[in-house]
Amino acid sequence: MTRFAVQFVVIVCLLFAAELTPPVQRALVIPWTEGLASLSAALVTVFDAQVIAAGRVLQSTRNGFAVSIEAGCNGVEAALILIAAMLAFPAPWRHRLLGIAAGLIAVQSLNVVRVLSLFYLGQWNARAFEWAHLYLWQVLIMLDVLIVWLIWIRLLPPDRVEAADVA
Amino acid sequence: MSPDPLRGFILRALLWLPLCFAAWYGLAAIHAGVIGSLSRGAIDLFRPGLVTGLEQAGRELVFVTRILVHPAPGQSALVLPEVNPLLYTYGLAFFAALMLAARAKLWKLAVGVLLLLPFQVWGVVFDFLLQVGIRPGPEITNQAGLSAWQREAVALGYQLGNLVFPTVVPILLWGGFNRDFIAGLRRRM
Repeated sequence: MTRFAVQFVVIVCLLFAAELTPPVQRALVIPWTEGLASLSAALVTVFDAQVIAAGRVLQSTRNGFAVSIEAGCNGVEAALILIAAMLAFPAPWRHRLLGIAAGLIAVQSLNVVRVLSLFYLGQWNARAFEWAHLYLWQVLIMLDVLIVWLIWIRLLPPDRVEAADVA
Repeated sequence: MSPDPLRGFILRALLWLPLCFAAWYGLAAIHAGVIGSLSRGAIDLFRPGLVTGLEQAGRELVFVTRILVHPAPGQSALVLPEVNPLLYTYGLAFFAALMLAARAKLWKLAVGVLLLLPFQVWGVVFDFLLQVGIRPGPEITNQAGLSAWQREAVALGYQLGNLVFPTVVPILLWGGFNRDFIAGLRRRM
């Protein structure tokens, strides 16, 4: 477990440092965040035509309420933490890659739910929006990351040596 | 057939989470007082005399500084940065829910709560430093006296304290206290 923890922290630091660099922001983070806003708007307009997306902003044309998807809300940090956890844990590379792909889908799917729920929560009650935005959804997203990681561990092929190494 | 330990853990975590959030919020004013005092001590180590007092308004912390601003000719005022400690302490509710869901011993929960404190203080301290050393204009930042590299370090420290520590440290601590549970999830040959 100590080896896993050290490797996890090192990988997380490297991934976060890379994420903060302007080239990665321009090439990946900003397009991803804008894509998330567009996807959220596309999903919302299925049942609510009065929603538009401009860049990172999701806005209601009915009452003008808008949310801007910023760092911490785009699911990138949660994705990086999941990737680091799967890379640091002893496992075959094929399972790591499959786990990362499936895990990212799970985390980002819940993140879309987060964005949409906050968008409507904000139109209903500012205090509830703030609570859900700042505290509750942060924890739910990380709980999702943890659950995905634990399920992935259980689906790994049996390996007595590696399991003993983790403990 | 024995019950699935992972499913049980997930269900218990989802049940404990709202209760732990309620307890955390209910005790937040007391917790904020502890975090505020520790944060003031940490700031004093870094910049002795910069903070001259600490006030608490409900769950909010207000740091009284010696930094002066002049909003109009002949007028001066002290800068009083406000920090919302809840932003850095909500991981406590997360950690408690995970530990209770794993049916961990109470002493482990108590030790974990203590181990979370430095990371919560980190968040408050870097929030304060961001407010006096980076965000405002030069009249305030010059008095805070942060060098160029210190401003970079504050920006990075703030990101860590805000985006990473509140949710990642509770999981790491939980993992450290529940190694057998995690290792037991992997099938053995």
